[in-house]
Amino acid sequence: MTTTARSTTSPPVATPPRRKRPPLAPYLFILPYLLIFATFWAWPIVSSFLMSFKDSRLGAAAPYGLSNWSRLVQDEFFRTALRNTLVILVIQVPLMLSLATVLAVALNSKLLKAAGLFRFAFFAPLVVGTVAYSAVFRLLFNTDFGIVNRALTGLGLPAVDWLNQSGPAMSVLILAMTWRWTGYNAIILLAGLQGISEDVYEAAAIDGATPAQQFWKITLPLLRPTLLFCLVLSVIGTLQLFTEPALITNSGPGNSTMTLGTYLYQQGFRSFNFGYASAIAYTVAAIAAIFSVLQLRLFGREQ
Amino acid sequence: MKKALLTLSALLISSAAAQTNLSGTVTIWSWDVAAKALQSTVPGFNKKHPNVKVEVVDLGNQNVYDRGLAGCAAGGADMPDVYSIENGEAEVFWARFPDCFVDLNTLGANKIVNQFPAFKWTELTANGKRFAMPWDSGPVVMFYRRDLYQQAGINPNDIKTWDDYIAAGKKMNAKFGGNVKMGTIANGQDDEWFRMLANQNGCFYFDNAASQVTVARPGCVTALGTIKKLYDAKVVATGDWGGQITSFKAGKAASAMFGAWYEGTIRTNAPDQKGKWGVYLMPASRPGGPRASNLGGSALAIPSASKNKEAAFAFLQHALGSADGQVTMLKSQGLVPSLLSATRDPYVAQGQSYWANQKVWQTILGTLGDVPPSRGTQYFQDARQVMVVVQADYIKGKYKTAKEALDDAAKKISSATGLPIAK
Repeated sequence: MTTTARSTTSPPVATPPRRKRPPLAPYLFILPYLLIFATFWAWPIVSSFLMSFKDSRLGAAAPYGLSNWSRLVQDEFFRTALRNTLVILVIQVPLMLSLATVLAVALNSKLLKAAGLFRFAFFAPLVVGTVAYSAVFRLLFNTDFGIVNRALTGLGLPAVDWLNQSGPAMSVLILAMTWRWTGYNAIILLAGLQGISEDVYEAAAIDGATPAQQFWKITLPLLRPTLLFCLVLSVIGTLQLFTEPALITNSGPGNSTMTLGTYLYQQGFRSFNFGYASAIAYTVAAIAAIFSVLQLRLFGREQ
Repeated sequence: MKKALLTLSALLISSAAAQTNLSGTVTIWSWDVAAKALQSTVPGFNKKHPNVKVEVVDLGNQNVYDRGLAGCAAGGADMPDVYSIENGEAEVFWARFPDCFVDLNTLGANKIVNQFPAFKWTELTANGKRFAMPWDSGPVVMFYRRDLYQQAGINPNDIKTWDDYIAAGKKMNAKFGGNVKMGTIANGQDDEWFRMLANQNGCFYFDNAASQVTVARPGCVTALGTIKKLYDAKVVATGDWGGQITSFKAGKAASAMFGAWYEGTIRTNAPDQKGKWGVYLMPASRPGGPRASNLGGSALAIPSASKNKEAAFAFLQHALGSADGQVTMLKSQGLVPSLLSATRDPYVAQGQSYWANQKVWQTILGTLGDVPPSRGTQYFQDARQVMVVVQADYIKGKYKTAKEALDDAAKKISSATGLPIAK
């Protein structure tokens, strides 16, 4: 109201406006936040970047001859961690997202009774503490006493030494993560599904589209933004993967389930080599950024 | 010189006089069983120093480590008066924060050096400073099931070398159709057996000056070779910490080799197997060779920030430096003393009912003097990570010989630490 009034009454030829100093008060009000942000967010980011160029183990014994970055390039263990992380990414994320999509469609079905109960049931794994669920998975897949091997031998199949062999250990990890995160993604996708207008389906039904056609031609394309959101989050999450390999397989056997996350932890908090850990952290962040941009480019167009 | 001596003796006299009227509070950070053990020594300590109030805080192992680190990084802020530290992890502290802890020599620790076996000091001293006092230790022994050995016709007294052990394991396999193994080894999860056997053969990841990677030396080659022999003869199973416990509880393991602190692990996890267990010395690598080694153990240090250093040191001297304190902890929590005089305590000579009245502590402590020194260094975790992988790969058959495997391990450890490989 006042603005319109002023614009109509302002003189046609404006006198050069007096440059008003920007008011100080708002900045004073956000100053505490800015200080906290600078101290606890911005500075650590800068500091760990600087640290990645230093040998933080310098001290009593011989220093590491090369810089952390050149060590990273040559480090066989880093390559193992990167490879393992990518293997999990390539297998687990598509598996989980397809499952979650199917689950979301099922949960969205009008035929489903007690939908709320099912939605809760599939979301529930996320509520369970990570340490507790990791312990349960360790027990389930125990070679001698686990229920999985009991079931296998009961069916006349050979028992598998799940946690002491690289391939099986990796599959236990993938299974555990899928169990935990599928429901979470399904709930996000469900929200996406509910954003699709009923009219579209009605129109399609009138045109004689089968349910399968409706799924492929309507649901999936319209769900694309939500799927993309889930994909980017899952990829970033997998690149930072730590809890499951640390607690279920302890990065083992050997280093066969070591991820970038557990290697970073190992270097930073077991070997106290914060410089090298910082270099790893920056590499993980860079990879995550590249992946996100790639996904947005590949799947995010024509919206 | 004379003057220095005079002032020194004056100092000693005054500190001796001060000992009787120490006062104040001594706060201790420790964990689980270790905290309970320290608590059990407090009444004895208060008989000597009634005015000192001792507070043992049980933070849990990981928390003690993390908070100690944070405290040292913050220049000693919020540190306790006495700090518990594991030997294997200790050197990271001395290397990163040499000023965070008191050189115990300045409080008189140099006078009690000989009361402990030499190997216990190696990880606790750096640059001529004595940063912590030895506490418990982990002399390695073989725990075994008397009943299972007997059923398989094995006499533990005949097992003197690893070859004898393998021969016994074949008998065990024959008797139980492979359902009971001689032992459970961590493979791919840990390298404890390698460390125990390497130490037995006088070898370790690094030399005792922490200046070279020595993991490819003959003693270590023997150690890794023995582990492969055990696997190839199918006398051992694979299992991590938890898996090892479940197998002995289920009667699938006829023996277990570990630091003696495993005594409590067996006793508390399998109370129903009371009287069935016994102890014998770890087998030697060659006839007449050493049958002693060490795995694990802790120490107590005094942070420089402590305001009550004299009282804290007095507590260390009572809890760790007196047979009274050490035996109290042995009785209450089974912590194996490293104080040599504690080995002569009457309690050590008593038969223990869980172990079928065998005098296990005498057997276990008797090996202390034979343990070769070894050093974790600040690079312990890097080296361990390499060895876990190399051991698993060698068992799998990736390398032709143990020497080849360890040459590769040495190369990797050297590249991670920057230390040269010993010739």
